[in-house]
This record gives sequence, C-alpha cells and structure tokens, in this order.
Amino acid sequence: MDQPALLEMRGITKEFPGVKALDGVDLTVRAGTVHALMGENGAGKSTLMKCLFGIYSKDGGTIRLDGKEVNFKNAKEALENGVAMVHQELNQALTRSVQDNLWLGRYPKVGGIMVSEGIMAKRTKEIFEQLEVTVNPKAIMSTLPVSQRQMVEIAKAVSYDSKIIVFDEPTSSLTEEEVEHLFRIINMLRDKGCGIIYISHKMDEILRISDDVTIMRDGTWVATKPAKDLTMEEIIRLMVGRELTNRFPPKTNKPGEVILDVEHMAGRYTRLKDASFQLRKGEVLGIAGLDGSGRTEVLENLFGAMTREGGHIRLHGKEIQNRSPKESIKNGFALLTEERRATGIFGIRDIKENTVISNLKGYLMGGVCLSDKKMREDTDWAIQAMHIKTPSQKTQIRSLSGGNQQKVIIGRWLLTKPEILLLDEPTRGIDVGAKYEIYQLIIDLANEGKGVIVVSSEMPELLGICDRILVMSGGQVAGEVDAKNTSQEEILTLAAKYV
Amino acid sequence: MKKVLAFVLSLAMVFAMVACGGNTTTTNNGGTTNNGGAATDDGSASGDGLNIAVLYYNYSDAFISNVRNEMDAKWEELGITFNNQDGNTNAGTQLDQVNTAIANGVNALVVNAVEASADETTQAIVDAAKNANIPVIFFNREVSNDVINSYDKAAFVGTDPAEAGHMQGELIGNYLLENYDAVDLNGDGVISYVMFKGQENNPEAEYRTQFAVEDANAILTEAGKPALAYYDSAAATQYLVDPNGSWSSAAAQDYMTTVLSAYSEANGNMVELVIANNDDMGLGAITALETAGYNTGAEGSTTIPVFTVDGLQAIVDAINAGKATGAVGQSASGLAEAVATLLQNYQETGDLMSNTEGMNVDADVAKIRVPYTTVG
Amino acid sequence: MSQESKDLAAKAQKFSGKQVGNLLMNNMLIIIMVVAAIGIAIYRPGFVAPSSLINILSLTAAYLPAALGIAGCIVLTGTDLSAGRCVGLTACVSASLLQSVEASNKMWPNIGTLPVWLVIIIAMLIGACVGAFNGFFVGKFKLHPFIVTLGTQLILYTLLLLYVQMGNNGGGTIGSLDASYTDFVRAPLFSIPAANGASIPIPRYVLYSIILAAIMWFIWNKTTFGKNMFALGSNEEAARVSGVNVLLTTIMVFALAGAMYGWTGFIEGARVAANNANTGLNYELDAIAACVIGGVSFVGGIGKISGIIIGVIMLRLIFVGLTFTGVDQNYQYLIKGAIILFACALDMRKYLVKK
Repeated sequence: MDQPALLEMRGITKEFPGVKALDGVDLTVRAGTVHALMGENGAGKSTLMKCLFGIYSKDGGTIRLDGKEVNFKNAKEALENGVAMVHQELNQALTRSVQDNLWLGRYPKVGGIMVSEGIMAKRTKEIFEQLEVTVNPKAIMSTLPVSQRQMVEIAKAVSYDSKIIVFDEPTSSLTEEEVEHLFRIINMLRDKGCGIIYISHKMDEILRISDDVTIMRDGTWVATKPAKDLTMEEIIRLMVGRELTNRFPPKTNKPGEVILDVEHMAGRYTRLKDASFQLRKGEVLGIAGLDGSGRTEVLENLFGAMTREGGHIRLHGKEIQNRSPKESIKNGFALLTEERRATGIFGIRDIKENTVISNLKGYLMGGVCLSDKKMREDTDWAIQAMHIKTPSQKTQIRSLSGGNQQKVIIGRWLLTKPEILLLDEPTRGIDVGAKYEIYQLIIDLANEGKGVIVVSSEMPELLGICDRILVMSGGQVAGEVDAKNTSQEEILTLAAKYV
Repeated sequence: MKKVLAFVLSLAMVFAMVACGGNTTTTNNGGTTNNGGAATDDGSASGDGLNIAVLYYNYSDAFISNVRNEMDAKWEELGITFNNQDGNTNAGTQLDQVNTAIANGVNALVVNAVEASADETTQAIVDAAKNANIPVIFFNREVSNDVINSYDKAAFVGTDPAEAGHMQGELIGNYLLENYDAVDLNGDGVISYVMFKGQENNPEAEYRTQFAVEDANAILTEAGKPALAYYDSAAATQYLVDPNGSWSSAAAQDYMTTVLSAYSEANGNMVELVIANNDDMGLGAITALETAGYNTGAEGSTTIPVFTVDGLQAIVDAINAGKATGAVGQSASGLAEAVATLLQNYQETGDLMSNTEGMNVDADVAKIRVPYTTVG
Repeated sequence: MSQESKDLAAKAQKFSGKQVGNLLMNNMLIIIMVVAAIGIAIYRPGFVAPSSLINILSLTAAYLPAALGIAGCIVLTGTDLSAGRCVGLTACVSASLLQSVEASNKMWPNIGTLPVWLVIIIAMLIGACVGAFNGFFVGKFKLHPFIVTLGTQLILYTLLLLYVQMGNNGGGTIGSLDASYTDFVRAPLFSIPAANGASIPIPRYVLYSIILAAIMWFIWNKTTFGKNMFALGSNEEAARVSGVNVLLTTIMVFALAGAMYGWTGFIEGARVAANNANTGLNYELDAIAACVIGGVSFVGGIGKISGIIIGVIMLRLIFVGLTFTGVDQNYQYLIKGAIILFACALDMRKYLVKK
C-alpha cells in the first residue's frame, strides 16, 4: 500500500428509523487504485456511498478527502469538490437529449444566460472520443437502450474531472463488450491517479479490476484486503460470514402432492423469458437470482399483474388463466408485493382497514353495507394469529414497525383463504428478530397445507426456510436446487449462468 | 443565489403587505364590514338598532358593485349596522351565509339571491328568516310570488325583468324609425343585428334577449318597415353567449371581431345594429368596432348603433363620446332607497309594506318595482 | 430480385407503414384542424378570407402570452390556476393607470396619465411577484402547484375586488382609456388591402405576441434557465444530483409565467377596453387547454413553443368556427371538452408503460 490515501472514511454511522444501516464503517481509498466494495444486498454499500455524496447526512464519523475533513451537504458540493458518482438507479432527464443530460447543472454559458450549444457539442465530442463512447449526443435519452444510458452516466461522472469516482453496480445493464469498454475507462482513470470505488456483485469482475477489496455485512465493516490475496470462495465466506443456526425456525412442514404446475411462462412486456416449475402442497419454494433476473416477474406474471406472452398454468391439473389479480384471487392466489410502502400498505389508514381491504365482499350485509362487527372480529383474529404488536385496531398502519406491517398484510391475504401464497421479499427492511417471526409464519402456513413461493435476495433466508430453490438468471430458470443439499456458492454460480 | 432568494422573498412580503394595506384602505372607504358601532352613536338616525346582513350574489358584477356602494352609503346615513357577504355565484354558499347571519343575531336580511329562479333555494332562505322571525328583503334578482307570499315579512325590491327588454325594444325601434336610412348601411331595407346574451338560463338575459327584438320589431312593422334580421340567417340560435356565462366584455369583443371578419360594409353584409344585455358586453363590442374603424366618435366616421342595459357611468361616457347610442338604465340608488324605506317601515311599524307611497307596488304581492330609465 | 432482398423490401415496407401510422397519430391534431378548417370553409367560404384569417391571427395573439407563461408551470409537472385572476388584476391596474384625463369617473384623478412603458413594467412586475410567490410555495414547501395557485387565485380575487372599489371607481367598469394606451395596443401595425377596396388592419399586439413567442423560444431552448427547467420537469432528482438549484428554478419559472400574465393583462386592458372584477375569469383554463392540446405534457419535461401556438390557434379555431357556422351555442362546451380529452389521450398514449 504505497499510494497515498485519497479518501478516508472513519466510523461512519447512519440510522434510519428502527434500523441501524451503518455502524462504524471504515473505508480508505488510495489514489490511483480501484477499491471494490462488496457485501450482500442490504449490507449498506449504497448507503455508505450516499453518505459520502451528501444524499444522506451521516449520523457519525468523519470523511477526509486529501487529508481535509469534508461533509458534503448536497450533490452539488460533492461534485464541485471532486467526488462523482454513477448511481445505481439511473437518475436522468429522459425527455432531454444526451448532451443536455451530460452538462446539466454546469452548462457552458455565453453572455451570462445563454447556453453555448457549440461549446457543449465540442466538449461532448471530446469526452466521448476520449472514452470511445459512440452515443449520438443529440439523441433523446428515452430513445436509448439502458446500456447506452448507463454509458452516458459513466461519461458524465468522468467529465467532472473528479478525484474520486464511485461506480455503483455499473455493469448490471451492460453487455460483455460494454463491460470491457468500461474497464478500459476505469484503467485509464486509475492511470490518471483517480481513486475509484467499485460496487458490484460479480466476483470475477472484482478480482480482475480491483486493487483493494472492502467487505461489508449488515451495515458493519468486515475486512479490507488486497484483491490479489483473495479468492472467490474467501469473499463469499466473508460476505456471508455468520453461522446459519438459530436464525430460522425448525422446518416442520411436509411437502405433499403437486398443486401448481407452471410451464414455459413468459412476459409480454417484461424480462421474464421462460419459467417452468411445480409447487407442492405444504411446500415452501424459494426463488433466488440477482436483481433484474426476473424473480419478481415470475410472481407478478403468475398473479396476472403483468401481461403473459405464453405458457400454461395448471392448478390441480386444471388449466387456469389468471389474467388479472382479481381473477387470481378468485383462483386462490395471494401476492405480497415487493415494495411494501409503495404497493402494500395504505399508510394513513388503520389496521382494521388494512386487514380487511382485500376481503370486503365477505362482510357485505344485504349487498350494500359492511358489517363492522365481522370486520373487527377478523382483524382481531389477524392480530392474534400473526402476533401483530399494535396498541389497537384503530392505529395507523404506518406507525407500526416494518415487521408488524408485513404481518398485517399477510393477515390481509390469509383472510381471502388463499391456497397459494406468493411472497416477494417478505422480510425486506425488517429487523432480525421480526424476521424470525415472519419465517415461523411462513412455515406454519406450509404446515396448514398451503403452497408458498418466496422471492428473496437474501440467500441465507432462502436456504433456511425453503424446501426447494429455483434460481433465476437473465429471465430464465437457471436451475433448481434442494435447499438442504446446496450452498450459497452453488446458487451464486447458477445465478450468473445467463448474465 | 442567496441574494436572489432574499429579493424574491422580500417581493413576496411586499406583495402580502400591499394585500393587507389594500384591505384596510377600502374597508374604510367602502365600509364593507360591520361598522355600526360608530354609526349607532349619533343616535338620531331612524335606523338605529337595526342590525342587518346584506347578501350579494357576486361582488365582481359591476352593477351590483354600484348597488353595494349605494346601499353602504344609505346604511351609514341611517345608522344601520350592516354586514356584507359575497355569495360568489354559489347558491349553497349563500344559504350558509343566511344561516350564519341569523345565528349571529341579525334582525333583518337583505338578499340578492344567487339562484333566484329556483323557488326551493329562495324558499329555504325565507323559511330560515321565518323561523328566526326576522324580515327578509330580496332585491335585484326576482324571486317568485309564491315565495314572497309565503311569509308576511318577505318582500322584493327590483325591476321587472321583462321591462328592461321592453324598454330597450322601444328605444331601439324608435331610434331606428328616426334614422332608418342612415343605419341601413347597405340600403337593402333590412336592419341586420347581433345580440349578446351574457348567460344561458338567466331570466333577465332571457327576457332582454326576447323582448328587445320583439318590441323593436313591433314598432318597425307598425311603421311599415321590415323586422330586424339576425346577421347570420343560418345560425341555430339568434344570439351569442359568453362561454363563461359571465356577461364579459372580453367574450363580446372576441365575438364581435370574429363577426366583423366576415361581415363588412365592403361585402355589403355589415352588421348594422348591436344589442347587448349589459354594459360590459356593449363596451366590448364597441372596442371591436373601434378597432375596425367604426364608432370612433370622430367626425364623419360611421357609427353602428349599440344599445345596452344597466346604464352605468362607462356606457354614459361612451354615449356622450358618440360611441354608443342608448342604454336602459337600472337605478342603483333607487334600489337602495327602496330597500331602506322598507327597513324603516319595519323598524317603525313592524310591517315592511306599511308606507309605500309613491312606489310602484305589484298587486297581491309585496314586490316593489324600481323603474328603469333610458339613457342617451 | 432475390428472395433476400424481397424480404428486406417487405420489411422496409412494413416498417415505413408503421412509421406513417405514427406520423399520422403524432400529427393527428393538426390533421383534424386542417380537415375541420376545410369543412368550415366549404360551408362558409368567408372563413378563409383574409379578414377572417387575420381575425384568427389576432385572437391567437391575444391569448398566446398567458399560454406561453402557463406552459412553463406545466413543464414542471405543475399548473397555474392563478393566471386568470392575475390577468384580471393587471388589466384593471393597467387600465386604471392609463385612463384618459377627460374620463368622467377617472379612477385616480390626480395621476394624469402615466407613460405606457411604466405601466407595462408595473403590470409585469405585479405578475412576476405573484408568480414568484407561487413558485416559492411550490419549491420550498413541496406543495402541489394546484393547491398553491388555488390559494393564490382566491387571494388575488380579493385584491382585484378591493382594487376596483378604490379611487373614484366604486366597483364599476374601467374604460375611457387614453389614446396613447389604446394606440399602443390596438392601432394598426399595417393594413392589408382586401379584394373589394377595403383594408384589413392588423393590430399591433399581434407583433408583440410574435416577439414574445420568439423570446420565449429563446429562453426555453437557448438559456441555462430553460434547460434547467426542462431537466427539472423531466426528473427532479436528476437535476438535484447534478447540482441544479431546484428552488430558484421553480421560482423563476412561476415568476416568468406571472410576468406573462401581467403582459396579457396589460394587453387585455386595452384590447377589450372594459375592465372590471370579472376580467380574466377562466383565462387559465383556456391557457392550460391550449398547452395540453399543443403537446405540453403534464408528465413533465415536454413541450414546444410551436405546440403551444398550435394549441392556442386550435382553441381560437373552435371559437371562430362555431361562430361562423352558427352552431347552437349550447354545444360549444361539448366540442371544446371533447377536443381537450382527445388531445390529452393522444398525448398520454406515448407515455403508457405496459406491464
């Protein structure tokens, strides 16, 4: 470690209500090196970078850039002080042209107010030539494929002439060729003396390009080592880290006969290309895969929330259509959506309303008026059965913790008496203790003879509660593994099969 | 950046202060709010002790604003405590205002009904007054006889909506007879006209639209002249109506320029007469005519006769300048005078209609007709 | 021709067929407008006579500035309901400051007649202040412009009602304008000789509107402010992380819109020459309608000056066309409403994301 430290982050702490997202994380980036930041989903990598960039304000710790303490209040300050970032979510003005996006916030001016299209075009040409990017600068952003938009975003970060450039999963939407291209750009920046922070899940990329590797787990720093001393297995071991005992309730469910048979299901507008699988009575089936591999799409196509292109769904051997969520509910399906806050809860309504909303038909008296008594009884049942901790039925659901919110929603679906439960990231944003209760609930449901499909980006979770795991990759089923006789390594390998 | 922001903020502050400042000035000038305290002190006024609520249908109506000023002056003169309310063309708002005013303890209501043509709404106002046992005087917008007769302390002061139409028709007919050849620009013996109605389903607009033309025609045909012809013989409706229903000058102006773009002296089909149901629309039409080179008031220019109803100062000025020809005037002061008389009657005898000497009272119903006047 | 090239040709054919379809759909409004105009012209040939075309031009010029202003607010995914009342206030202020000295009920008898340029500045400044006020609430407190301007609109109405009560006016109509004012706005720019010897004057405000449209085009396309406005409307977060001052840009967009209403008020004051508290009522609705018809999308970040001009022309065509054909006046609302819905559906079609 002979190069001087360009960026030093010490003891960074960040708390969100109920969750400690970062707990004393350290990160030191040397000039002229690529520093990989690794960890499972939710380990706190993006949060750490957002604290650096001024999008989040950190609760504790210090950041030194070139030896001077800095504390950026917003993105503008960070950019002006030589810290640029390629964001994981593409933040672009899609209705505007490529070069308008590239120079947004710092248009070359003439006469004080006018934008010089000439200078802008010239600089765009220069930077694109330097980086060998072949995107038409006048094209409207929304007409470009995601990979080209990603290259524009990369060019933009480089064009700030920054000392530190953060790449947050830059290759997730790039083709192999474009990844090579990106690596050339990164090598060029490294040779110029920049410090690069590189976040990715792809082990081979990390080992190829990075000088140092920092590994995070559950919002804490685990290790920082030179990349040449690490192997893929070692990284995975450090990322996964903990023993998997006692985090999961005992698996008592016994899978029975096949109740659901899906053949060659594909999405018309979405990235699901081909999925075939079976689900048994009393079974917990896991779906694993990287972000964008089509995990969520499997559930939403099955549930009719997305339009299917082809394939067959058979329930108890009988072909069903599931054209819309309404029809699916009738057929005994229930879907717990991925974004609980956005598409699951009705935040300002109370527990009762959130519990009974999908089953209102069941409370009709005389076809018009809802029976308040029945609704209260059912809500009481849900609160008891799900062990929901709430002061009363009248409490606004948003004031509950994430885990209790999730239990209310599971309760809501159970009231519709589903046979097949589709759970998309059921424990996202929930603390460890509450996760255990959700796991117990899932296994209890399987014990009652329901078929459960769980999508999760946390592999230990799938290994802990599922009977079988379906691994998705690039919109297809890459393989199916038995949860008892597999490892995270095997799943990760499968997940990268069609990337 | 900070400086710019500070500048903008201070502008906003100034704006807010102007708002407050404007408020105080006009309150003092116009007496729009309850200012009975000072007035009751002088004791001598006969309206002493009256505390009334005056409910207007819409503050933005120019004629009603005029009435409001006249009434405010009258109340102050008589020492009546009053409280003005703007119904803002919403009948529901007005009913709420009635109930609030009664709850507030007023001892008389003066109401310019928003929805005068619907008995249900006006009856609700009368019933509210009846329950509180206070008198209610409607003005300007006419309510039905049944409603007035349902309560012995209800009365109406206003004009006869048909009368304005009749008077305008007469005004137009007589003017045309005297100036027939001058008005008939293309010499075809027929006068073509355009009519600005103002609003659909408003009784005043309907009567004025109908009778202005019918009565003028009656006079013309009696004198052996052909009846008036609407400028566009193929039109489905014989009038143009403000798309916003607000009797606005802008709508009349837009219509008139559009009409003038196809109908002109050069084409031999010029519009030869403009009839507007209120002053504003007449003024808008005059502006359009002026832009086209007519009605400039200048020596030797052609003037298309323009007739309006309301007869406020702006149209009087236009008539004096030779830009407009005549108007049927509603008397704002006459209206205020009559309402005040009824209130004084009630104060003295407990009966609104106890002294209506010299007033034009309908038979069988407590309705007082303030006569229209002709202007120009 | 080989099989391969035939295939290619067929592919090209199919492709261009789809393209033509898209082209037709994207220009559907203009097509409808032209077809409707031809239809009316056949029924009433006078519709396309020079005098009529100039009338349409004049009416378009009168309603364009407010639409140009409000369009900026729509680009920011907002709207501005205060436009109409702002026009009313500035029209009454302009007219009252420029009444001729002989006017019998001159509102402010002691000020004589102010210079026209000063009144223009006053009117536009009032408008800009109102706009900045709106923009501040929108940008600072993240309130939806619908709510902010719903509030301001009411506040402005009170100011307007109080203003027309001031001085000698007593709530009446403000007319009897000074010749310097009416000439500045309405005097003929030049006259076009018509076939039958008459001449058709083009009022000066047409020229002003053309200049304003050019200025707005420049601001929208050539300045930092314009580009920031579009970026902000397209993706606020992207603008923020790129270092755009979101609050200032929002305030400026609304202030610019306000200045446009001020200008509209100044022009309307003399164009109509009869101003009272009713003036400007519902102008914002026409302006918003013109913008959405012209493709300024409520999705944000999309809009062209040319589109707004087409939108305003379209609305005026409906008005003039209905007057010309003598259609039952009751149906004008239906036709206007149907066209607005149709235009917006056509516009949204482009942004629908299929799942």
